[in-house]
Amino acid sequence: MKEQRIKNQIRRLRFEANEMTQAELAEKANVTRQTIIALEAQKYSPSLELAFRIAKVFDVPLEEVFQYN
Amino acid sequence: MQFLNNYSNRELNIWAELILDILLSFYFFPKIFPLIIDGQLYGEALVGIIANTIIIAIIYSIFVFGAINTLTKREEKDERDYIYELKSYRVSNIISQVSIYLLISLIVFNPINQVRLNEFTAPMIAMLLLIITLLSSTGKSLTQLFNYRKNI
Repeated sequence: MKEQRIKNQIRRLRFEANEMTQAELAEKANVTRQTIIALEAQKYSPSLELAFRIAKVFDVPLEEVFQYN
Repeated sequence: MQFLNNYSNRELNIWAELILDILLSFYFFPKIFPLIIDGQLYGEALVGIIANTIIIAIIYSIFVFGAINTLTKREEKDERDYIYELKSYRVSNIISQVSIYLLISLIVFNPINQVRLNEFTAPMIAMLLLIITLLSSTGKSLTQLFNYRKNI
């Protein structure tokens, strides 16, 4: 399987955001819970727009959520 | 009910669609092919089989799709759904194109070789096209399911 080169800190940020659930994050970012699961498992690279939306939910800069290796 | 929690509403709908395709194929084709081969595809026989197929599809849809959409939360499509849908359409398109080229080759080369020319009647070609549609639809559903499961 092709390794994703975009890594993310979503799981950690959720934990730090008062243990936000995947469903809550999905609702705030306007995606399905399955997409959040795939993102956390580092098996899906989001579009730029979704990446910005997720960063906005956590109120952090984009590069704190996503890193390119 | 744990089973339902492991699958999204969309995945369950795709599974249901796939099972419906297979169910109808197992009912429809074994009944229709003997009629075509024997050259007995009369209006009444065909209408009966098609009517039964439609009734089975409607009953199945009411109960199965109804149950899925009642027991699980319906979700709006997001970017991942659209990407997987596009990938599945690509596979479906490849299956259709390859199958149609094969069918065309069969139709073109059979008269040249003078072999079994009478087998390619209009109903037979219609049924072969129906099988191609079914194959491409199955390929589409399987690709979507594969992508959803691969990334979980």
